[in-house]
Amino acid sequence: MGLITDIRDSISSLFSAQDPKRIGIYGPPNAGKTTLANRIARDWTGDAIGPESHIPHETRRARRKENVEIERNGKSVTIDVVDTPGVTTKVDYTEFLEHDMEKDDAVRRSREATEGVAEAMHWLREDVDGVLYVLDSTEDPFTQVNTMLVGIIESQDLPVLILANKTDLEDSNVRRIENAFPQHETLPLSALEGDNMDEVYDKIAEYFG
Amino acid sequence: MPHQCTNCGQVFDDGSKEMLSGCPDCGGNKFQFHASTEDVPAEPEPSAEPPDPPTPDSSVARTVGNAAATVRDLVGSSGSQSAGAPDDDPSSRDPAPADSIPSEPAPAPDRTPADAPASREDAAQADARSEVVNPDEIPAGSDSPTGTETPATDDTTATENVESDATGPSATPDPAGDAGGRVASEPSEDRPDLSELREELNDQFESIKVLSPGQYELNLMELYDREEYIIALQEDGRYTIQVPENWHD
Repeated sequence: MGLITDIRDSISSLFSAQDPKRIGIYGPPNAGKTTLANRIARDWTGDAIGPESHIPHETRRARRKENVEIERNGKSVTIDVVDTPGVTTKVDYTEFLEHDMEKDDAVRRSREATEGVAEAMHWLREDVDGVLYVLDSTEDPFTQVNTMLVGIIESQDLPVLILANKTDLEDSNVRRIENAFPQHETLPLSALEGDNMDEVYDKIAEYFG
Repeated sequence: MPHQCTNCGQVFDDGSKEMLSGCPDCGGNKFQFHASTEDVPAEPEPSAEPPDPPTPDSSVARTVGNAAATVRDLVGSSGSQSAGAPDDDPSSRDPAPADSIPSEPAPAPDRTPADAPASREDAAQADARSEVVNPDEIPAGSDSPTGTETPATDDTTATENVESDATGPSATPDPAGDAGGRVASEPSEDRPDLSELREELNDQFESIKVLSPGQYELNLMELYDREEYIIALQEDGRYTIQVPENWHD
């Protein structure tokens, strides 16, 4: 890690006096983390970060997009966006079989997903300066994973924005997420449709600039 | 080798299923086990019971059962109680819950119909057979009562059962043998093996528990807390970790 950090530091110092903040996109599987990461990256750099999928655990390695420059109110904020694998306490290959996957592929996906969770947890420990915590607003936010991750983020004193994603879906319930994490600011959005992204960027600039 | 209802005195043959949901005559759920038919008194005489009066003994059995349950709970939740494992030896070696072994020369357990589903009772009987009864003593027809009660009536299971009998009590530590002898009707949670217990205790300190290839349970706090991080899971359940740089010194 040290070498990579060194290289990153030397590269980024060419562009700005201040290191860009590394913002980790965290959350349970299938919350829309990669969709959000791609939305942010496309909006500000034109590139994507990684493939999106309805099948959980599509993202099994943390992916980083460096030097994403977000312009807000005449100022610009540069961040590195880290899209992380969905965090969960159980990975079961049989879940993937329902998505018409062969058993061998499902088992491999499951193994990689587990490695991905380990990697995500490791990043959280050392490598992020702030967190965008993405939740599927159609799902119940009161889960062990959410409680534990938000608790860890709080214990690290990391700035965190809670994002209630998938507001384009009928079952979306943003209030439920606000109630679950009253100590943090919750923003509704649809990363897929691009709804409310302006406010999200405002807050990113405010929190992580 | 009969059981006698301590309430009304009705006698039941060993392995008879009528008594499983309580005495059909009086509803009593305490039975006295008699080593041989001659010992059966005509009437139950609580004051003149042979060596083991039912109440203290069944309470001992209950205590052991409770202890086992407590250890199970401890192991299931906190896991820091490694001292609990040795204590659990006797009950964990018992193939059935400690309070349901009809083969001991003691009053058969105190059981309520409510918490004694037929499948469990059935398993207890199967245990009694594989542990105590000599294969020679088993009458030719003795398979049929067991067979008719359990869903597993196919020939394979019956054969396994007999094989397990033949290997005798020495086969009990082998979990595979156990499974064969028990006609697969007993839920595994009911009897924590020593090895299972040990495994569970070990798992408390693991960040990734490999249930089977492709099925994992993750301990997020452990994953977060450890300095090294897992970079590759092997198919055989081993994994490769990357250690922090200062470990190389």
